[in-house]
Amino acid sequence: MMARILARYPFLPALVIALVLLALNGLYQPRSVSLIGLTGLTKTYLALMLLAIAQTYVVYAGDIDLSVGAIVSLVNVVLVVLMERWGGGGVSIFAAMAAGLLVGLACGLINGLVVAALRLQAIVATFATSIFFTGVALWVLPVAGLPAPTAFWRTYGGRFFEVPFVFYAVLLLALVLYLMARLRLTTQLLAVGDDAQSAFQSGLPVTAIRIKGYALCGLFAALAAFCITGDTASGDPLVGGKMTLFSVAAVVLGGAALSGGFGTVVGSVFGALIIGLINSLVYFVGTPSEWQNLVQGLAILIALMAGILVGRRTRR
Amino acid sequence: MGEDKLTCLPGRRMLASHVDMAYLEIPSQRRIEIDFIVWFHFRTNLGGSLVKKLAALAMSTVAAIAVTAFSANAEDFKIGLSNGWVGSEWRTQMIEEAQAAAAAWKDKGVNVEVVVQSANVDVPGQIAHVRNFINEGVDAIIINPNSPTAFDPVFAQAKEAGILVISTDAEVSSPDAVYVGIDQKAWGAAGAEWLAKALDGKGNVVAINGVAGHPANEMRVAGYREVFANYPDIKVVNEVNANWDQAQGQQAMQNLLATYPDIKGVWVQDGMAAGAWKSIIDAGKTGDIAATGEIRKDFIDLWVKDKLNSGASVNPPGVMASALNVAVLMLQGKELKEPATAGQYKNAMYLPIPFIDSSNLDEAVKQVEGKPGYYSYTSQLSIEDAEALFK
Repeated sequence: MMARILARYPFLPALVIALVLLALNGLYQPRSVSLIGLTGLTKTYLALMLLAIAQTYVVYAGDIDLSVGAIVSLVNVVLVVLMERWGGGGVSIFAAMAAGLLVGLACGLINGLVVAALRLQAIVATFATSIFFTGVALWVLPVAGLPAPTAFWRTYGGRFFEVPFVFYAVLLLALVLYLMARLRLTTQLLAVGDDAQSAFQSGLPVTAIRIKGYALCGLFAALAAFCITGDTASGDPLVGGKMTLFSVAAVVLGGAALSGGFGTVVGSVFGALIIGLINSLVYFVGTPSEWQNLVQGLAILIALMAGILVGRRTRR
Repeated sequence: MGEDKLTCLPGRRMLASHVDMAYLEIPSQRRIEIDFIVWFHFRTNLGGSLVKKLAALAMSTVAAIAVTAFSANAEDFKIGLSNGWVGSEWRTQMIEEAQAAAAAWKDKGVNVEVVVQSANVDVPGQIAHVRNFINEGVDAIIINPNSPTAFDPVFAQAKEAGILVISTDAEVSSPDAVYVGIDQKAWGAAGAEWLAKALDGKGNVVAINGVAGHPANEMRVAGYREVFANYPDIKVVNEVNANWDQAQGQQAMQNLLATYPDIKGVWVQDGMAAGAWKSIIDAGKTGDIAATGEIRKDFIDLWVKDKLNSGASVNPPGVMASALNVAVLMLQGKELKEPATAGQYKNAMYLPIPFIDSSNLDEAVKQVEGKPGYYSYTSQLSIEDAEALFK
């Protein structure tokens, strides 16, 4: 029974861990689970959630993308620079966002071509493209500093009909993910990740599918960049660099297998949430500063083990 | 502020008599609010002796409101310190000195409680630090920021919640924050000025820089370029990035020595200086080259032992302690004699930059004597120094 539920909803362990962490946060700092606290949590970690989703689509196919953080930085500076160039009005904001999505898509396609078409090792190839994308970002905006138009970040941080904007964004995201899960591409990516050889033999265009996975990854990384820009209201050519490995960690915490063929995007979203909640909890329980990194690392490890143990038990 | 009322509770305690007085002075409408908060705390605290806990919570909650009413004579401050990078001992020393500075306020009858968040985080992770502090209701936040611009919205939220925000070590663009620290451009210029003098204003020079695009690095680079521009016979033949990494600094210096055998001077920052000097010593050019140095004990010892021709701008780890002393005075409601309006963001208050060269090397040696090798030469604004800056 339990096994069947878990096979149907592999993100359940991550959900449970996230809920437990949320409860612990509330226990140690009641205000962190107030409406404002939760809004803040969502505002801060929506970008990582989106980046974890981006990473999930390549991990599905057994690939990895170490350039997602650099894509976030690049889209962030392109967005801010274009909004400035085009005057900062409503139309220019939407035009810049469209350009940002295109940049994300282009980065994803480059990764896909390098990895799937040229057949370079994903881990090294995307590491190299990450350096390249960072270089482009530094060329677009050499030093952090350009502010985003007020209308842009006021919207991200604001509220409509008394409900914070980010909650609408989460709802929309849930809808998109629900629809995406029904796409044929998702199944194909999982099939490639499960066994690329047999996927190829059964007639699937493996190379094209992997490239599409990277393209999707680039698009979601661009969306993550929108959130970063909304929350930071400025351009910074190095802003996303450190997010890359957190996105990989979130995917694994969410129950996906890095070898491919298994996982859910919803799990990755909870994985991102787990990372955020652990960061806060480590502080709220009063860990001395010199131990915070260590405790944080241990907590992530424990969460990882808990998820994997449950998963392994049921998959047997 | 349009957000819910639970946010502005500072977590402080007061005497019971104060509490009763305060409770009576609160309008009945707000008492309902307090009762609700007590109920809320009660709901969220599980286990333990409930009655006792309820009583304690009621007390502390009312006390919290009372402090809001009596904040003029409260001399208890809670200050949050946020550090977003744990890659070097310098940062550890920075936090330790700030904690010591907080403890020193006790002699003045002021209780300064510091809470620290220090971990390797990305920018959103450090924004979360700030949000955690806002949730906790600190009086002031002192931050060594991972980005100059990314904190504008969250600092605006902190200010709305009545929190004083001070950045240190790296400037921030937010108009809601004050920068207390050194001017990185002047820091870079001081080293260049020393180097130009050491070379009698002529010769080929190379520069080894930190991380491209990092604001502090760009400001330092601007600083030395401006100085060298005044010396027509000094030629900067190459500038490389070694990412503030000692090993990369050593490697870069090796390459530069191989490419330009006639280098007379090296302008290099922080820990990379120790690496660069190692290459210079290995190449047997100790006597022929003048290069900037750094402030860790290991290097100062080497400096003395090998009689290096060096000079070091000091970015002291005590900057956060200085910022803390300034913060406490600001929380006491004092006003700066000269408002903090310096720098490119018009919100900076620059601290003096000490400089170590052969004239005062002995003094530096004395200060770091008996400390571990990674200990940095330091200086900070004492409470008295800081008071002198206020009206």
